[in-house]
Amino acid sequence: MSPSTIVVKPEEKNVEVWAPSVRERIPGGIAVGALMAAMVGMLTLAVVNVFTTASPAFNTWVHNVGKFWMPGAQGIGPYSGKETLALVGWLGSWVIMHFALRKRDLKVSRWLIVFLVGVGLATTLIWPPVFEYLGGHG
Amino acid sequence: MTALEDVREIREASTTSLVGVILIMIASAVGFTLLTAPFDKLLGPGGGALPAAIHGLVAFLYLFVGTIGLYLGWRLLTGHIRAFADLQLLAVVAATFSFLAICFGNWLYIYYRAPVADSPRSYFVKNMPEVHKIFFEFKEFGALFTLPLAVCAAFILWRYGVQTLERPWLRYSVAVLMGLAFFYLVVAFGLGAAVTKLRPA
Repeated sequence: MSPSTIVVKPEEKNVEVWAPSVRERIPGGIAVGALMAAMVGMLTLAVVNVFTTASPAFNTWVHNVGKFWMPGAQGIGPYSGKETLALVGWLGSWVIMHFALRKRDLKVSRWLIVFLVGVGLATTLIWPPVFEYLGGHG
Repeated sequence: MTALEDVREIREASTTSLVGVILIMIASAVGFTLLTAPFDKLLGPGGGALPAAIHGLVAFLYLFVGTIGLYLGWRLLTGHIRAFADLQLLAVVAATFSFLAICFGNWLYIYYRAPVADSPRSYFVKNMPEVHKIFFEFKEFGALFTLPLAVCAAFILWRYGVQTLERPWLRYSVAVLMGLAFFYLVVAFGLGAAVTKLRPA
């Protein structure tokens, strides 16, 4: 190939270049609401599970909650109700907190720490030896 | 046609072509398998064979997406991310796979805990109670944690858009959410695979 046939192409842009946002600053409360709601959902699941372990009557009620709407809940068992209550806790608290915090520019850093503590607590509570102990079966 | 137009044409065609090729490959593989192979044998003999196959497939795809998301989350955390749009898309895909894995997991759970002597739960309770009481129960709850975490990450990425990149604690939050979602995914996937190996539904 002779030098005269080489086509010099412009340098390809292989990275995304982001211009600073021109939009108005979005309050941090919206992110905080989403984070806290996720934490509430996880804690709801963990706490409900502890109480179902402790109380057969509550366990039956939780199962009935699942049977109220979830397909196959009879076969799934009380787990269907635990999922339902966690879902209600998560989405319900999200709606409430979103509208309560959407105009407040909260510091995400502080609430991220709260979130991590809550997630750590929820994780501890779903570890079977822990919830069995708290439920009186340890 | 100038060189610039040439490059643009290649780029615009590439995404559509990639999706098209992937769809054709998947359709070919599925079609070929269904037409030529005993698909029921592939699924296995158990009553929960179909939900088990779909649950496993979705969970595997989620693991694949989650791994890429973990890497992009790390790039976001350190402030070196280039593919922000990819991360936004990936976060939505991860949340979708989490939801699907939970739905099909519910279906499969019916067969797992069926009140018959040869169901996996009956087998474990009789022969290896700790497998059900510790590992399976932790897996079933931990798996649910992936959904709010993945949805929250996707929500922040889309709601704040480019502002996520400009605000360090939003970047940290999304990275933490993706990291935690990956952790619970791996716990659920690993324990689920182990339980299935011990006693398929």
